[in-house]
Amino acid sequence: MNIFALEIWYDEGSICTFYTVRWDTDDDDAESETDRFFDTYAVPEHPLEEKAIQLFRLITESIGNRYGASNDFFDRIVNKAQELPPKPKQWVEEIKDLGINFPLRLFCYRVTENIVILFNGGIKESQATQDSKNLSMKFYEAQTFVKKIEEALQSEMIEISDDGRYLKNFDGTTDIIL
Amino acid sequence: MRSKTVDRLLKSTPKDVEIFVDWYADLVVRINQLLRENDISKKELAEKMDKKPSEISKWLSGEHNFTLRSLAKLSAELGEPLMEVPKKKVQTEFIEDGFMCRVHTFVSYTKLDTKTSGKVWQFAEETEPYNELSNAG
Repeated sequence: MNIFALEIWYDEGSICTFYTVRWDTDDDDAESETDRFFDTYAVPEHPLEEKAIQLFRLITESIGNRYGASNDFFDRIVNKAQELPPKPKQWVEEIKDLGINFPLRLFCYRVTENIVILFNGGIKESQATQDSKNLSMKFYEAQTFVKKIEEALQSEMIEISDDGRYLKNFDGTTDIIL
Repeated sequence: MRSKTVDRLLKSTPKDVEIFVDWYADLVVRINQLLRENDISKKELAEKMDKKPSEISKWLSGEHNFTLRSLAKLSAELGEPLMEVPKKKVQTEFIEDGFMCRVHTFVSYTKLDTKTSGKVWQFAEETEPYNELSNAG
């Protein structure tokens, strides 16, 4: 059974809190999916290091601290495999790119303008995300996460805190395992 | 608790990258805001600027690097400034006896005798009062 933890990734901005997901394994030092993304691309010698750092800045400062998760920064990707009509929130999104042909995509789920859950991502090599070998696995994985998170929100297993910045279990605890 | 990755990236992000991303985000948000406020559709903006709608979409979705020229055109069409360049930077401001005092830092360049070898520091009072360029710094 694949279970994962929802944990805070960055909450030091004044507007938006970012969560990430981490597969629940025996390894206590296992990285979160978003750390995996940035530790793959935002490292010295990687040709996309600067792009990854740009994306990091966009998330932490522009979205986290200045504007919140407004539509200006997100592209919606409808899950065509499940032929979803665009039901509210039943989709995976990606942080919008910066500059011409920005090569990286990071998938996420926007709970509100003040709470975003970041997943993993990769290099976009073709027009359609599903055609990019590097990206398609991460995309389907993101869909799995979104489905479980959406179910937990709808069934009120998890809810939004009173200040609108955090997620918590229905009993008020904050260690969220789905 | 902040992850090691976040901590590393917060510490290692170059200043110029920070500025570039902040400007880019500010511009995209500002342009979208002006379009909403003035109730201008992307199609209308494209027509006004004699551009293809796809080009306008690229600008607004961040897939197009803004140039000074494109920003000037957009600003002209939207009738509002998109960016402002500070003319003078106030360094210190204080109020004394009912007056607001502002202290600026100026860097002044004065052309001296070219025969002087090496760099020689000289008090400003001793230089000619004309032919002087000043920059707020």
